[in-house]
Amino acid sequence: MKKMSLRRNITVALLSAIAYLIMYLQFPLPLIPVFLQIDLSDIPALIAAIMYGPLAGVVVEAVKNIIHAFVMGSVIGEAANFFAGSLFIVVSTYIYHKGKTLRSLIIGMGAGTLVMAGVMSVANYFIIFPLYAYFLGFSIEQAVQLAKAANHSIHDLISLIVLAILPFNIIKGIIISILALPIYARLRPRLRTDA
Amino acid sequence: MELIIGQYVPRSSVIHRLDPRAKLIGVFLYVIIVFLANNWPTYALLAVFTASGVALSNVPLRYIVRGLKPVLFLIVFTFVLNALFTHQGPALFKFGWLELTSAGFIQAVFISIRLLVLIVATTLLTLTTTPIDITDGLEQLLSPLKKLRFPVHEFALMMAIALRFIPTLVEETEKIMKAQTARGAEFSSGSLVKRAKAIVPLLVPLFVGAFKRAEELAMAMEARGYRGDVGRTKWRLLQWQTRDTVLLASIALLTAALVFLRG
Repeated sequence: MKKMSLRRNITVALLSAIAYLIMYLQFPLPLIPVFLQIDLSDIPALIAAIMYGPLAGVVVEAVKNIIHAFVMGSVIGEAANFFAGSLFIVVSTYIYHKGKTLRSLIIGMGAGTLVMAGVMSVANYFIIFPLYAYFLGFSIEQAVQLAKAANHSIHDLISLIVLAILPFNIIKGIIISILALPIYARLRPRLRTDA
Repeated sequence: MELIIGQYVPRSSVIHRLDPRAKLIGVFLYVIIVFLANNWPTYALLAVFTASGVALSNVPLRYIVRGLKPVLFLIVFTFVLNALFTHQGPALFKFGWLELTSAGFIQAVFISIRLLVLIVATTLLTLTTTPIDITDGLEQLLSPLKKLRFPVHEFALMMAIALRFIPTLVEETEKIMKAQTARGAEFSSGSLVKRAKAIVPLLVPLFVGAFKRAEELAMAMEARGYRGDVGRTKWRLLQWQTRDTVLLASIALLTAALVFLRG
């Protein structure tokens, strides 16, 4: 096994701890059902991935969600969060590392947002919603009825995904990107990794 | 911010003395077999099993209740959802479009027990096991993955450091928030955009602090001779005892009982 830098590992661990804390600052969006909450915990993972490559970002997502799963005693939401966050981070920082400029970061995060929103919509339809319905003991129609309270145009699972999950993930990606840019700009002088 | 994580409650009990590996495997299996329950006897059995675990642990009930607080919303939410949207059989009462059937009520009670039992079991694990023991146990349980070149040791180290520094970072976050509030920043009021913007001056110093801390910690560890997994010795060795086997045997027995009793 390749010997890894201790400092890099510790930085990734501390960024995971920050990400875990930020998970608690979640907030709902208007017109989107309450069970979809925006949290900004992908930002520390993004910073880790900018510094040490996409894999470091995935590690931050993993550590953050494992701790959260232990505390909450739930698994599906954390697994979904892990996949959504990892997709966004891997795509955006893969593109970022081609140029390592503000421009490549913006293009990367745009692509990351689209990939995340697209894949998560499909995953929600086939995997996440059916799983939730099974574990929490309600049917998909019940979740749809609940979503109807937030947005009256929702009447079945497809419309729930097109009108709630898809815009939710796009907005989430945009918010994270908009907040990540000034943070990246201010941290830039310190992001020399030399590790 | 009140977080239960790392809130190990030191007591002298059988549950505390169990090998963390046994507890991790036990909780893992338990989380799976909970889904076998589907009628009154099986849910009652789960409730009794979980309650006896809590009783054996000597952990005061208020710690368990505190661990439930963050998920209370989820439980109430699922209860209401199940109670009001399960339209089977005759209604107990009707109020406009709201309708409560006895089948819906029973379903809601079952799902609430399921969630409660799951959360109490994982909370009990973190309340009776130190974060060091949890990561140590995880590292040893995952060690077969080393053959697949998965860096188990590094991952366990990162988990341990993250867990160790969560309380420290909470403190630091509060300090930064106070400092920024003194400069006129607002975190809890204002529009969504304003609140989201307020997060930038909160995160930047938090990240800078983390980079600095990582550098210092890495230097301190290397100065004390840390060189990773290879050739590392341990001060505390995990030892599998009879009680650990008993725990796993009782889980196996519970599984058999659940399979036998479920409808």
